Amino acid sequence: MKNLLKTLCAIPAVSGREDKLREFVIEQIKGYAEYSVDQNGNLICFKKGKKPAVKKVMVDAHLDEVGIIASFITSDGFVKFQTVGGIDTAVMLGRRVVFENDVLGVVCLKPVHMLSSDEKKVMPKVENLYIDIGCESKAEAEEKISVGDTAVFYSEPEFLGDNILARAIDDRAGVACLITLLKEEAEFDFYATFTFGEEIGLRGAKTAAYTVSPDAAVILEATTAADLYGIAEDKKVCVLGGGPAISFMDRSTLYNKKLFDYANALNFKHQVKEYVSGGNNAGAVHLSKSGVPTLTVSLPCRYIHSPSCLANVGDLNDMYAFAKEVIVSLCGGKVL
Amino acid sequence: MDIKLLEKLSNAVSIGHIDSALKVAESELSKYSEVSRFGETSLIAKINKGKDKTLLLDAHIDEVGFIVTKVLGQGFVRVASVGGNDARILPATPVVIHGKEDITAVFASTPPHLAGGDKDVKSLEDILLDTGRKDAENIVSPGDLVTYKTTFAPLGENVVSGKSLDDRAGVFCLIELAKRIYNKDINCNVTILLSEAEELGTRGAVTAAFALDADEAIAIDVSFGNAPDVSAEHSGKLGGGAMIGISPVLSGAVTNKIKSIAKEKNIIHQFEVMGGRTSTDADVISLSKSGIPTGLLSIPLRSMHTPCEVINTKDLESVISLLEEYVLGGIA
Repeated sequence: MKNLLKTLCAIPAVSGREDKLREFVIEQIKGYAEYSVDQNGNLICFKKGKKPAVKKVMVDAHLDEVGIIASFITSDGFVKFQTVGGIDTAVMLGRRVVFENDVLGVVCLKPVHMLSSDEKKVMPKVENLYIDIGCESKAEAEEKISVGDTAVFYSEPEFLGDNILARAIDDRAGVACLITLLKEEAEFDFYATFTFGEEIGLRGAKTAAYTVSPDAAVILEATTAADLYGIAEDKKVCVLGGGPAISFMDRSTLYNKKLFDYANALNFKHQVKEYVSGGNNAGAVHLSKSGVPTLTVSLPCRYIHSPSCLANVGDLNDMYAFAKEVIVSLCGGKVL
Repeated sequence: MDIKLLEKLSNAVSIGHIDSALKVAESELSKYSEVSRFGETSLIAKINKGKDKTLLLDAHIDEVGFIVTKVLGQGFVRVASVGGNDARILPATPVVIHGKEDITAVFASTPPHLAGGDKDVKSLEDILLDTGRKDAENIVSPGDLVTYKTTFAPLGENVVSGKSLDDRAGVFCLIELAKRIYNKDINCNVTILLSEAEELGTRGAVTAAFALDADEAIAIDVSFGNAPDVSAEHSGKLGGGAMIGISPVLSGAVTNKIKSIAKEKNIIHQFEVMGGRTSTDADVISLSKSGIPTGLLSIPLRSMHTPCEVINTKDLESVISLLEEYVLGGIA
């Protein structure tokens, strides 16, 4: 599965422009599950299991990733931009970007040599940044890109020891697990949704959950791991190598207690996310229709939303095994 | 122009004792000149024409980077700066640690819940490298050098980006120049110096210029390229040609000779006026022994000292043409 994750992380899919990735997923799951694509770009799959499910379960991973969108081209051919989803300014500076049509650019900034000592201490604002695409005029730049084109930060996925360094582990980790689950025999029927637009406000999950109308849902995600050197134990959130993290609460959801307790008691390697931070599609799914009991299972990930996310390959395998057990239990009516 | 060579020079590494970029240059220059190492990682390439006078042409081979000061637990490593780095850009930037083997590592970035809305730039003392390896101490030791991990890539027809174009662009110009002049009839000897440790305060050029006894010298380096937040008077336009340095530090005679060549031969160029020091090797070469008349040509470059520096190859051609005419004109 680690090679699948590496492949997935190299496919650009900024929110709203998930087409390439969705096509890749369809190629992977074709023949293993029934699928349809809704009008917004959600990929909704039905996996036929050995038995009909007692409870209808929806398993979700989002396709999209954070990125940038070209908003203005200056008279001298530089591209101004806005972020799509939350990105720290520091991780954008001096980086190469790749637009949808493979045009390359560099996020430029005033050289350090020219900064006053005060300027050196302050992070520039995104509205003051610009991308160099090697053009000298607006007309020349407009031949290469248009406002509204999105771009991702260039990164070459690679393995560092037992870890993977890549862009967009949020949420290709979930996508990798979900593809793997669909490609093998299932005990029970279940629904899988590969949703668009999570990073811009859980948009795909809202309509996908309405369409599927599940009795329960499992969100496969990636979440912040702050297990860095010198960070206090109570601020680490979760740790690389500790298995998938399950959440009791984040900024979008106070999770169903019965489902959380059941999952937490399972004898499969996992950890509890020990901090209330972040949010994910559970925020939309658990409020769908008259409410859906939801669990989030996340891959711990350092430097999330940066071009250089770091996650543990062992955790990915443990996440898959854990999710599979939870799904079978939920489908079989053992939990709720 | 052989842009593949520029790509090789940019992707390779020269910092401290690490010399893969120097080796690329060495193997090229050995086709056209007598090469020898100087200091730890400087290179001298002599095109000897048996003349009395020698023209020294200098570009620095080294790049900015970091040096490991301590290997901490959990695969984290503390580093210090080698040359002037911009702390603003470091979070989540990938680098290569040249340890027992070359390994990739990434500068840690503060998770949002710990940043607390703090928009201040963290200094290098507060940013660690994450190797992602529990066995880091078996591969990494204090003193290991660290460089940015970037692959050279073209941005447009003439515009390219990559690491260390400061000053591999200058090194590239000198190799191209050697290729063009080595078998020509010229009335002076030409010595090319690829100096180490410019980023640590033009140190390599100090000792090499002393040893070389040149009669005239020209340094080739990069300078600030035009950009929306850089004032036009303090920058050169990418594609506008070589920036001819004008400064009280530099020789008026050498500078005027370059200026008149540019005019007569119709070579695109622009001027860079500095009130004093140039912050290049020219500052120290000009003061070597009893003094060497020294000029300066600079290539405009954007995003200096970041992993993705940007230049225009038209400016390289301008530098090479100016130098070629200068050499063919000989020195009095």
